[in-house]
Amino acid sequence: MSDLAIDNLRVGREGRIVLDVPSLSMRGGRTTAVLGPNGSGKTTLLRVIAGLEASHAGTVRVGGSRSSQSRELAYVFQEDVFLRHSVRYNLELGLRLRRIDETQMRHRIDQAVDLLGIGHLLDRRADRLSGGEGRRVSLARALCLRAPLVLLDEPLAGLDERAYTQLVDELPSILAAFSATTVFVTHRREEALRLADDLIVLIGGRVHAAGDRKAVAADPRTAEVARVLGFAVLGAAGRKVAVRPDALKLGSGPLQFFMTVDGILDVVGPPDVMGRVGDTRVRVPLGVDAVPPLMGARVVVSTDQFVEVE
Amino acid sequence: MLEVLGGSSTLAIVVRTLVVSGTATMLATLVGVPVGYAIARATFRGRTTLLGAVNTGMGMPPVVVGVIVWVLLVRSGPFGDLGLIYTQTAMMLAQFLIATPIVVGVTAASIQALPPRLPDLLAVLGAGGPRTLWLLAREAKLGVLAAIMAAFGAIASEVGASMIVGGNLERSTRVLTTAIVTETSRGEIERALALGLVLLVLSFAVNLTLTAVQQRGSR
Repeated sequence: MSDLAIDNLRVGREGRIVLDVPSLSMRGGRTTAVLGPNGSGKTTLLRVIAGLEASHAGTVRVGGSRSSQSRELAYVFQEDVFLRHSVRYNLELGLRLRRIDETQMRHRIDQAVDLLGIGHLLDRRADRLSGGEGRRVSLARALCLRAPLVLLDEPLAGLDERAYTQLVDELPSILAAFSATTVFVTHRREEALRLADDLIVLIGGRVHAAGDRKAVAADPRTAEVARVLGFAVLGAAGRKVAVRPDALKLGSGPLQFFMTVDGILDVVGPPDVMGRVGDTRVRVPLGVDAVPPLMGARVVVSTDQFVEVE
Repeated sequence: MLEVLGGSSTLAIVVRTLVVSGTATMLATLVGVPVGYAIARATFRGRTTLLGAVNTGMGMPPVVVGVIVWVLLVRSGPFGDLGLIYTQTAMMLAQFLIATPIVVGVTAASIQALPPRLPDLLAVLGAGGPRTLWLLAREAKLGVLAAIMAAFGAIASEVGASMIVGGNLERSTRVLTTAIVTETSRGEIERALALGLVLLVLSFAVNLTLTAVQQRGSR
């Protein structure tokens, strides 16, 4: 399986740096999610890896090779892109361009079609499919290529709820079928946490966290990463506390909140946040910017644990 | 009408028209489609100005092109030694210059109308440069064939450039449009009208063929 290594990568656009990655590696054979808010450089990173966009500086090595020309990869774009032909033609095109023989081509297409459940679409015009059908055909086209490197750009974006729910359930088995080094970008943390082995948090074109998914998700080191991972971040006189939204609970009384504290961030000097991770009773002097995340969080009445908020 | 058109000279004029305008259209397609593609895809300083110039060229009066080519090819001109003035080659050159901006402009617009990620898709699927160009031209075939039809229509019906650089020589450079002018000036209105009808039928036949290709599989 091809490891992927990025060194000193810088990409600029209209005079500003949109991607600045001093060093990043992705392990071969694993699924790595690149998670970040819109405009954080996720798609640019994927395009540079694919050789579709040039970098100002730095290198991308796939399996030790720097050449993007010889990079054998499959790419699923954020929006469905098809030639104005049948689904079958679109599935065959990449295989014909790669000079795969007819028997092997049939075999691969049959397998991908079965896995994605698109047999009934083969003779339909690919550019006239619905969103969910288009996504399936895009994934099948990528799957047919059997590339060692698979890049997925928001593979579930733009789907209605029903199509999303169906496909997100099937994606783990689809990704397993790729049997490749897979990188997918998403701005939805639940997708990243559900589908990936490893997680990269990209914010403002910079990598803020990278590593094993569970480790990154359990221990956000900065408030920015905590926010991307879905933590409510409470400001407290210059200190911040990260709280999982589903652990944030409202007790009786206007100023009393109950919560489990998952991480205490940016605490320097004598802490205003009185308590440690795992404590059941934590006292948080509430800062002004604490109000929006509290107000937006899911509110559940509970008596498990609590925090007194001043 | 057959009596009016009778004789081998009419057939020769029809064949000559097809050869001159057909060759010029083919050359304009070979040059214009890749150039139109390049302008549509590339980003460089002055691209908008270049597209503006191409679009201006689409409306270039044939008579102006004729005069320019005449100045270049006339015996005393910079390329006079080539001996091309008053030949079919000179007519093809003039018609090529009229047709190319049309092919470039319409092709560029058609390629720009394609899904923006299509070239990226073809690149990651493994298509090289020429193959990408071919596949994109096929995707944009409605526009590209419209460009070819517009180009052929423009040069098969033009008279100014052909008259100036071809000289309307009866046995070598007379084409349908210049023949119509000649017959009209001679007062042979019936024959002029008949030749006009032949030109229309010829144009219709060529455009019908291209339209059939254009519309195949587009519904």
